Amino acid sequence: MQTASDIMDSHPVTVHPQDKVKTAARFIMAHRYRRLPVVDTDNRFVGVFGVDCLLRLVLPKAVVMEDGLNSVEFVRETLSDLHRRFKRHEDEPISMCMEEQEVEVVHPDTPLLETLLVLYRTRASLPVVEKDTNRLVGAISYWDAGKKIYAAEV
Amino acid sequence: MKEHSSEAIHVIFGFDPMWYAGILFALSYLLIMSERINRAIVSMLAAALMILGGVLTQEAAVEGVDFNTLGLLTGMMIIVAITQKSGIFQFLAIWSAKKVNASPWGILVMLVIVTAFLSAMLDNVTTVLLIAPVTLLITDALRINAYPYLFAEIFASNVGGAATLIGDPPNIMIGSAVGLSFNDFIMNMTPVILIILPLLFIPFYLIWGRTLHATGEDRQSVMNYQEADAIRDKHLLWQSLFVLALVITGFVLAHDLKQQPATIAMFGAALLLLISNLPGSASQQSKAVGNIFSEVEWITIFFFIGLFIVVYGIERTGLLELVAYEVLALTDGDAGKTAIAILWVSAIVSALVDNIPFVATMIPLLENMGGVLGQEALMPLWWALALGACLGGNGSLIGASANLIVAGFAERAGQPIRFLPFMLIAFPLMLATIAISTVYVWVRYL
Repeated sequence: MQTASDIMDSHPVTVHPQDKVKTAARFIMAHRYRRLPVVDTDNRFVGVFGVDCLLRLVLPKAVVMEDGLNSVEFVRETLSDLHRRFKRHEDEPISMCMEEQEVEVVHPDTPLLETLLVLYRTRASLPVVEKDTNRLVGAISYWDAGKKIYAAEV
Repeated sequence: MKEHSSEAIHVIFGFDPMWYAGILFALSYLLIMSERINRAIVSMLAAALMILGGVLTQEAAVEGVDFNTLGLLTGMMIIVAITQKSGIFQFLAIWSAKKVNASPWGILVMLVIVTAFLSAMLDNVTTVLLIAPVTLLITDALRINAYPYLFAEIFASNVGGAATLIGDPPNIMIGSAVGLSFNDFIMNMTPVILIILPLLFIPFYLIWGRTLHATGEDRQSVMNYQEADAIRDKHLLWQSLFVLALVITGFVLAHDLKQQPATIAMFGAALLLLISNLPGSASQQSKAVGNIFSEVEWITIFFFIGLFIVVYGIERTGLLELVAYEVLALTDGDAGKTAIAILWVSAIVSALVDNIPFVATMIPLLENMGGVLGQEALMPLWWALALGACLGGNGSLIGASANLIVAGFAERAGQPIRFLPFMLIAFPLMLATIAISTVYVWVRYL
């Protein structure tokens, strides 16, 4: 049976919870990553950090919070205002805004089709995590999956 | 007062019905207070056990449900769910903030007035749900602490809600059970609220007002808000305002038209659903109506249904009549003393537990007192109960649903409102509002 481990990248790029927002943001922007897995010193998966997080930092809290304002057409802000808001957080560790809960992951033995379904639902790279130890063993991007599907014999 | 059917009560296993119903009632109260199990589940289970245990037949249970309260609540929830999509609430908040040149103290005053007014005309839970996020946006832009604003809005929502028949569930329940009209509430509750609300600005100013400062630049960023752009759907705005005006007029005329408030609210809800969905196709309408219905707070509605049945159960066993005599014995059967006692007890109880089950229990209790005191003498007692239950909600963070909603926003904004620090200021302030109410009840009715 083909599984997640057949399409994953076994050496994914990762970040650490104590990395500064400023550093992680620069890294993500430079490489155009949508999101990266966050691991602790024992390589255990603790969450994901990515552009969602960065956008949350440049938007007012009243907009991104649960039950917050769902439209702010009346607010007039400039790029400088957004940058100023981001600067308030740039020296904080990424643990302050990474997503920890409800992050969808797959396991190395998750069947291929289920893996693709989760990828389709998540619309971002998928962490591949060992069931018992919670260690990160790989990541699956659209491109990993696409390349492998194309390369398969018909 | 409701007519009781005269069939005898046969409780399972030969238990004394009064004990069975009383214990069931006490247990469900404790469970609701513990907040371990959702309150709608507790009240539905207790209601079913009231029937299965033989205290009530199903027909009798249905008799106990006050459909006027349910209809009024549901109807208003639907109207508000549609109206809020227009963006009118955000508009009002921003417009009022700009009227005072975005001065921090001025904004606090304006937001208190807007919150109190909307809480009086709509329900206070929806009001704070819509005003709190705008408040956070503004305080964030002004780079000032949101705490004083959120605190003041909690007070404004409970004080404002007390002013009218439709402002707060205890008023809806009392009005419905006793047959008090919208105008009765305006004549009896609104005057004292108009005294209490402005007086609240004194402690607010002394505690926070003097220390609220924002830079000219930050104030300008709020002044740059374009409140007109907060209106997302002008067409819907006019439709909603039209129906709201119609409904409020209906409430005012309800007594003369010999109609119940629930009929008016439900008619308004149906009318607004109709005009806001035309000329959509049948499938578009189904989807839109489904979305609006999903915004009705069904937990509250089912909680009420179960609660009405449970309270009707204990009432039918004669337990509440017994308690009523006991209470009257304590106050020497004096209407004045009883009214003041009800005001203070309701306030303190409502600060610490959910005021809805408390009021649901007090209504039949007071009705039973009517037998001794006479129906006329009951009037001050009803106003005392309404004032105590609504204003008491300010006493602690768990005193009213609106408080918890604001606390939730504060937590998510990273400026949490903690239980004890809140109570340290809120409880004495709440007692002060009850002291004012005591003078009012005394001077006006006793």
